[in-house]
Amino acid sequence: MSSRPAENLLPKSFNPEPGVAARSGWLEERRARALQAFRARGIPHRRMEEWKYSDLRNALDAEPGDSGEVISSGLHDPFAAIAGPRLVIRDGNPDERPAGLPENIEILDLAEIDENAPLWVSRCLGSALKSGMGEASLALMQGGVAIRVARGTSAVLHLRFVQSVESVHARVLIEVDEGASLLLFESLGGMRGVTNLGVEILLRPNAQVRHVRLADSAPGAVIVEEVGVAVARDARYQAHLPQAGARLSRVELAVKLEGEGAEAALDGAGVLAGRLHADVTTHIEHAAGRTASKQLFKYIVGGHSRAVYQGRISVHKGADGSDSRQTAKAILAGERAEADLKPELEILADDVKCAHGAAVGDLDADSLFYLRARGIPEAEARELLVRAFLEETVAGITDENIRSTVWHFIENRLPEALDEAA
Amino acid sequence: MLEIENLHVSAQGKEILKGLNLVIRKGEVHAIMGPNGSGKSTLSYTLAGREGYEITAGRILYRGEDLTSLAPEERAAKGMFLALQYPVEIPGVTTMNFLKAALNAQRRARGETEFDALSVLRLVRETAGALNIPEEMLRRALNVGFSGGEKKRLEILQMALFKPSLAILDETDSGLDIDALKLVADGVNRLRAPDRAMLVITHYQRLLNYIVPDRVHVMAQGCIVAEGGRELAQELEARGYAGFVKDAA
Repeated sequence: MSSRPAENLLPKSFNPEPGVAARSGWLEERRARALQAFRARGIPHRRMEEWKYSDLRNALDAEPGDSGEVISSGLHDPFAAIAGPRLVIRDGNPDERPAGLPENIEILDLAEIDENAPLWVSRCLGSALKSGMGEASLALMQGGVAIRVARGTSAVLHLRFVQSVESVHARVLIEVDEGASLLLFESLGGMRGVTNLGVEILLRPNAQVRHVRLADSAPGAVIVEEVGVAVARDARYQAHLPQAGARLSRVELAVKLEGEGAEAALDGAGVLAGRLHADVTTHIEHAAGRTASKQLFKYIVGGHSRAVYQGRISVHKGADGSDSRQTAKAILAGERAEADLKPELEILADDVKCAHGAAVGDLDADSLFYLRARGIPEAEARELLVRAFLEETVAGITDENIRSTVWHFIENRLPEALDEAA
Repeated sequence: MLEIENLHVSAQGKEILKGLNLVIRKGEVHAIMGPNGSGKSTLSYTLAGREGYEITAGRILYRGEDLTSLAPEERAAKGMFLALQYPVEIPGVTTMNFLKAALNAQRRARGETEFDALSVLRLVRETAGALNIPEEMLRRALNVGFSGGEKKRLEILQMALFKPSLAILDETDSGLDIDALKLVADGVNRLRAPDRAMLVITHYQRLLNYIVPDRVHVMAQGCIVAEGGRELAQELEARGYAGFVKDAA
């Protein structure tokens, strides 16, 4: 047994070979600062309140063996049914600019940028993501990409992450300019090692982003993705984040509603079988008046798995007339399954509507009896109720193609998660 | 059709049915009347096989077979139907899909071929029309946002679709106005048949003006304390339950 690394010592996966060559002073300087900050805090672990249910240090210490099979092959694109240009990002480094991408979408390889980087990159990189792991992905980044959707443009883009090395730290910066809209499909395919991804999405006034993320990983993978979103006046950010879990899987969203009328809507269903872990941690800041946020997360937790939802909502002083709704529910399908749901509210404004609820439980006994008394066998009745429970998370997706893609991703994992309940 | 002998049932460690006897023959409609807390709902849940109702003594024979070890779904497949006092709302499951799943599960269990979607749709439409159930209701989530009358009509619709041999109606009249009550009673009366028995459980005599029973039983403190013809219901209405409860004590 090797001894646990000291607080300020980083494990091998957090000491990668320097990836991005230092071509620009501002970037090097920013990364050096981030590294310093990250080193001071070290790898998050369970004694840190925000990481209480997701002990990253422990997951990194664990033997990397038993990475197991990826449920659907890493080569398979979960968004295969959805058209649109695809940008493949290998070990953090973007491939060629995909064909069919409109001219008014700029794509820059972060490894290539130098002193002459456009202002939107140098000004924005690191502005929306300031958490500990966000600092790590910037400091240790082996590569990354910056994307800009020009004013008034409407675009579809797939970002397909694939990984061939043991650990990857990468960054993505996306700016969606005034009145522009982006339909963003993010897939992490067949992840096996350690992935630490930092994503910044900046929505300018009246911009719209719909972000659909599917992470398909081996049971032994460790995935941390931090998403920082800044939403300007009358802009709207929507994210669909179904969870399939990994040895440790954490998606942390920090959404700042910066301008009046800004909106955010986040949802996702998680289905966990075996010994998986999935953590969705959100922090929504209502920093301006008349801002609205809505969250709905639901989990089915089977086997020895653990589901986590932590949702902090801060309504800043002066953010009057804001409306925030938050629901998290989990059904434990395995005897050793666990769900930790933690909503938190911090309200410093007046005339604010905040509704939040969290509940962990079993399927409703009355409903189960009703279905069985009408002839539906117990296993089938359970499955019917579980589907109905999860379906609410996709009910709001109006695009049939997207809804069915997200639903299949969840549904494929149901038999295994429910089987262990038997 | 149904023979209940000396039935003792406990729920949550408390004995609720204390030696209940009841015999219902093919084609008969029986009513059980009783005050709140007399054990009426315990009886219906026990007959349907709900978990948490433990038979500590006695037995239930349904068409000569002891039901005790059968799951609720097995009882349903064998032709037993319980219309609930409070039909459950199930968001996310459309009424039509539920009806199809239930119909086909019962058919599967009996070794019959399943209906395809179109046949189910046709069957449900025909049956629903007579109960004044609009098609739009069938597309909505099961019982979600339905009025009391709509929920009860949907219970009767299921009864008509499943064609049970024994139908138990647990306080089907509760929460219904007179028009809804008549509609539901009409639906039930249409289903009276020589090979079908019914047990109507109710608190009030009112329902029995519309569904006229062959036999009436009065239940108090977990047993049948009196029985007679349909006139017993009127007597109850006049005298109240108090006299009968005293008799039992």
